[in-house]
Amino acid sequence: MERTFKPPGGLTRALVEWRAGQIADPVARLRFLRHSVGDRAIFKPADLWSRIPKRTYAVFGAALFLIPVVTIGDAGRFFRRGGITQAHSTARAVTDATKPAVWLVENGERYEVWSNGLRIERRTEIASEPRAYLAFPAGKEDHGSPEPRTQPAGIVYHTTESHQAPFEESQRNRLTLIGESLLSFVREQKAYNYVVDRFGRVFRIVKETDVAYHAGHSIWGDDRASYVNLNDSFLGVAVEGQSQPAEGASPANPAQIHALRILTEMLRARYHIPPGNCITHAQVSVSPVTRLVSYHTDWAAHFPYAELGLPDNYSIPLPSMARFGFGYDPGLQKLSGGSFWQGLLHTEERVRQDASAHGTTIPRYRETLLERYRQLLNQVKAKSQTSQEKAG
Amino acid sequence: MKNSRNDVPEAIGLDIGTSRIVSAERNSGDNKFSAQLNAFVTIPYSKITASTLKREQVPHSVSDGQIAVYGNESARMADLLGREIRRPMTRGVLNAGEPDSLAQIEEIVESVLGKASDKSPKVCFSIPAPPMGYEENLTYHEATIRQILSKLGYNDVRSINEGLAVIYGELEDSNYTGVGISCGGGLCNVALAYMSVPVLSFSIPKGGDFIDTSAASVTGELINRVRLAKEEHFHFNGHFTDKIQQAISVYYDDVIHSIVNALKDAFMNTRSVPKMGRPVPLVLSGGGALPGGFRDRFEKVLREASLPLAISEVRLAPEPLYSTAKGALIAALTE
Repeated sequence: MERTFKPPGGLTRALVEWRAGQIADPVARLRFLRHSVGDRAIFKPADLWSRIPKRTYAVFGAALFLIPVVTIGDAGRFFRRGGITQAHSTARAVTDATKPAVWLVENGERYEVWSNGLRIERRTEIASEPRAYLAFPAGKEDHGSPEPRTQPAGIVYHTTESHQAPFEESQRNRLTLIGESLLSFVREQKAYNYVVDRFGRVFRIVKETDVAYHAGHSIWGDDRASYVNLNDSFLGVAVEGQSQPAEGASPANPAQIHALRILTEMLRARYHIPPGNCITHAQVSVSPVTRLVSYHTDWAAHFPYAELGLPDNYSIPLPSMARFGFGYDPGLQKLSGGSFWQGLLHTEERVRQDASAHGTTIPRYRETLLERYRQLLNQVKAKSQTSQEKAG
Repeated sequence: MKNSRNDVPEAIGLDIGTSRIVSAERNSGDNKFSAQLNAFVTIPYSKITASTLKREQVPHSVSDGQIAVYGNESARMADLLGREIRRPMTRGVLNAGEPDSLAQIEEIVESVLGKASDKSPKVCFSIPAPPMGYEENLTYHEATIRQILSKLGYNDVRSINEGLAVIYGELEDSNYTGVGISCGGGLCNVALAYMSVPVLSFSIPKGGDFIDTSAASVTGELINRVRLAKEEHFHFNGHFTDKIQQAISVYYDDVIHSIVNALKDAFMNTRSVPKMGRPVPLVLSGGGALPGGFRDRFEKVLREASLPLAISEVRLAPEPLYSTAKGALIAALTE
């Protein structure tokens, strides 16, 4: 029996062979090869090279130059977790330019490895309720038919706001202990889909297909739809750390930022998440009681959008204000950085223009929008109750 | 004999060979193998015989006034009774000329695997490649094996080319690039893979049975006796005083030359063989590769043939009887 098979080109072959050689487990190695060039390959090997835009040739070339100068152990880590320094800027260029496909390389019981170097620890993985939610058509939130969906629409970034030890070698045992304790807690609470610990390790907590209870009362929207209560519709990704907006520093260290970038790449590739739907908890959180945004303030400032290969989403007008009439506390200006504050001001201006277009005052227009929110919230709650009854 | 199993392995690899049925299971990280001869012998039914077989725990079934002893015990029983064993399969597929083939292969598969418990593991079983130059229809054979497995409660079932399974089982260190050869009872299966991708595969209709039958016909011995002599005593040393051993040697050589010539033809006439960039390993497996000196003899013939594909080494699988099942298991685990 003869099969038509065009082997991958020299460079691709060298990279795939080299990577395969790093995988000790024969099953994982075969799985990797089958997914890279074999019967499970996303691209035909012969097409692989031609699909890569010309500008990324240089990136591949640069990566190859790195290979001989690093040790095998270092090189293995580079592929498994990605290089934190050298690889950072190159991978970002690839992300920005090509949005590369990210695919599963190893699927072990205790961890997963993805083609962009992301390693996901699975020992903390648990199930929750299956994800199912209503997406309300944008601009027709109160009279259009909501679309039932089960795929995540976006990512909400959090900080765990948990107890911290100084990030120093002498504190290794304490850091580990605190991290383990945190993982145990968030697992019990089903608090996030992912946690990135202080060493940049990515732990899956609640399965992506299931709901994590991370966002509470929250709102976001994109060109297609508005989303209310994002536990059901958005993935929750938390960084182990505490917000320190006043000190002007990011709560995430370089290892965590790197992990966030490759995790975001994977999730975006897997669920076709638009960049504008990768936002922080402070941007989506609302209080129905006070009718104000940013009830939770984690990542109200200093979220490393640029390092994650994302646009500055702080400047996006908040859908909670523009579409549902929420206001903001002027004190938020102190808490948030300049761009978030600019986003709030843009939103305020937009609400003013919309109210004028509807021939009404801003307070009345906001009341109308808030009523819209209450109706949608009731629908979401009713759906959630029905789901629970069905599950029960 | 297994009946319903309590343990649930992660996956099962199954080598459905003309001569043997071998299973490989992965359970808690360890591979476990189990094998039975794919053969049976029938004897007239009597209560005494049936109760003796039962007492001795010899796998057997009773039907139409006949007792069929199947699996490993069939060879010993056939030798004791001076009869030929019967084969549910011939030349790698179900034996159309054997009326009891389905019933007996079902019994043998069950004796190797047992019935699945509630949770069915993934099963990957081997199928032969068509003989070179032919597009043999394996649909019936493959569908029947699936049916048998389904009847035993295994529902997550897929198949793998036998030569490719050998590569998956033995050529991990070359990233599953190289030539895998399974020297079986009915056929010799050959496959070439490049980084796990099967590039070409074929079989030659000569194997252990061909050697046994041919040697028996020229020596006037029972085929079963020749087979036992081959499996227990034969080795390549170039000098035979025993007539049976000498005949076996002749026909073994014929098989080796047939494989090497077919390999040469395949590489020369197949356009799809990719440029490998470097010499590739060749691994020998199967019951036919067991005799002492087989690897050396094969390599000598191979080097003399000057293949168009550079071979880095000819190696014998560490456990030749288990290579196909092991590769099928690895394939199942990657699903």
